[in-house]
Amino acid sequence: MAESVLKRIAHGDPRAVADCIDEFGGLVWSIARRLTRARADAEDAVQEIFTDIWRSASRFDPAQGSEKVFITTIARRRLIDRLRRSSNEPATESTDVLEVAGWADPGSRGEICVEAERAAQALTQLRPEQQKVLQLGIVNGLTHSEIAKTTGMPLGTVKTNMRRGLLQVRELMSVLVDEAGEVRS
Amino acid sequence: MNAAALRDDRLVDLLVKQTTEGVTLEEQAEIERLLAAYPGADREILARTAAAIALAGEVEDEPLPTALRDKLRDNAARWVVSRESKVADLGEHREARVTAAASVKRARGEVPSSRWPWFAAAACLVLAVTGWWPRLRDAQDVQRADVTQPGTAQPPGQVTPQPTQRPPEPTLAERREQLLAGGTAVSVPWSNTDDPGSRGVIGDVVWDNEKQTGYLRFSGLAANDPQRTQYQLWIFDKEQDQRYPIDGGVFDIPAGATEVVVPIKAAIPVREALMFAVTIEKSGGVVVSEREHIVTLAKTPVAAG
Repeated sequence: MAESVLKRIAHGDPRAVADCIDEFGGLVWSIARRLTRARADAEDAVQEIFTDIWRSASRFDPAQGSEKVFITTIARRRLIDRLRRSSNEPATESTDVLEVAGWADPGSRGEICVEAERAAQALTQLRPEQQKVLQLGIVNGLTHSEIAKTTGMPLGTVKTNMRRGLLQVRELMSVLVDEAGEVRS
Repeated sequence: MNAAALRDDRLVDLLVKQTTEGVTLEEQAEIERLLAAYPGADREILARTAAAIALAGEVEDEPLPTALRDKLRDNAARWVVSRESKVADLGEHREARVTAAASVKRARGEVPSSRWPWFAAAACLVLAVTGWWPRLRDAQDVQRADVTQPGTAQPPGQVTPQPTQRPPEPTLAERREQLLAGGTAVSVPWSNTDDPGSRGVIGDVVWDNEKQTGYLRFSGLAANDPQRTQYQLWIFDKEQDQRYPIDGGVFDIPAGATEVVVPIKAAIPVREALMFAVTIEKSGGVVVSEREHIVTLAKTPVAAG
C-alpha cells in the first residue's frame, strides 16, 4: 500500500508537498468556499490551511482517522478562526442557498471516505431539527445565533441540538466502527 | 476523549463551541484547565466527528482554481526550501541546501522552463528571508524555552552527570544570569495590561543591545495550544517606525510550567530598544500584529527618559 501523502511530507519528501495540493486542493477549496463570506477570503484561507497542513503532517495518526478527516479538521479550525475574526461582517450568502445543501446518501458515493459514510449513516438516525442544526452549523459554518435566526429556534434549543446531535453522531459512528470490527478511534 | 471527560458538562459545552463556532482566548484557557484533569483525553474527538459530518455534507468537491493552484505550488516550493534550510541551520543535515534546491526542481518538474529564472530568484529570496518572515516559520523555528515544571527545579549548582567529557550546555536561565552578570545588559520588569491574558503575569526582559541578545522570563503566563495560537514578541526600536515594531519571534508556554525563559530572536538588528511587547497571535505568528491581545509590556530606561 502506498505511503500516505502526509506521512511522506513528515518524512521530508519534497514532492509530497505538491502532491498534497493535487490530492486535497479541491476538498480544501470546497470547504473554504462554504465557510467564507467572499471568494478572496477563501483564496487567502486555502493558502493558510495548506501551510498548516504541511506543518502538522507529522501529527497525522492513521489510527485516529483518515487523511481526509485530518485535513478537514485543520481546514475547519482555520476557517472558524477566520469567521470569528470577521463575525461583524454581514454574510453574503442567502439562506436559500443553505436550504438546498444536503447530506451524502449513505452508500451512494464510491469516493466518500469511510468516516463520512458513517457520519451520513449516523445522521439519518437524528431528529430532523438536530440534522438541520448540524448542517447549518458544521457544513455551512453558521454560528449558533445565526442558526437561531435562520430557523426560528430559540438559541438555547440550537445549542442543545448541536451538542446532543454531535455527541450522538460520535456515539453512533463508534458503534459502526465496532460493528465493522475495526479499532475504535 | 475518555468517558469521564465526556461527562464533564462544561468541558463538553466548550469543546462543542470550539468545534462549531470557535472560542475566545478565555474559553480556550478554560478548556486547557479542564482538560488537565483528564490525562490522555482525546481532545480532537469532537473536531474529527464534526469533520466527518462536514465531509458527509460535501456533495462534490469544487475544482481548485488554476491561479490558486499555482500560488499554492509556489508556496509549497518556498516551504520546502525553508524547511530544509532550517535543517541545515540546525547542523543536522549539512547538505540540506543542495538537497533543497534539487528537491524543489523535482517537485516543480512540471513547471514550464520559461518560469525557472523567476523561480530560482524566488528560492534565493526565500533563503534570504527565512530568518525573519514569521509566516514561513515551522515548528522547528519556535524559540526553545527553558521550562521549570512544579517539583522539578534543580538546585542551583547541581549538575546532572554527563556520559561524555563535554561540559554541559548552560541552560537558558544560566545564560540569562551570565548575560546579566556581564554588566552591559538592562533588566526591565513586565507591566500588566488590560488584556485578560495579562492577569498574574510577572517576570522581566534582559536585553543587551551591544551583544544583540536577550531573554524573556515569565511566571503566570497561560499555557497556549501551539496548533491555534502562539505568543509573539515585538521590539519597539527608537530608530524604527513605531507602527512596525521588530519581530522578536514566536514562542509557546507549556502547560504546568511555573517559570519559563525564552531567548529573544530579533529578526533584524535593534538599534535602541524602547519597549518589548508580547501579543497572542495565530499559530506561526504574523508579519504585522493587529495588537488585539497585548498580554504584557516592558518599557526600557530609554523610553522612560
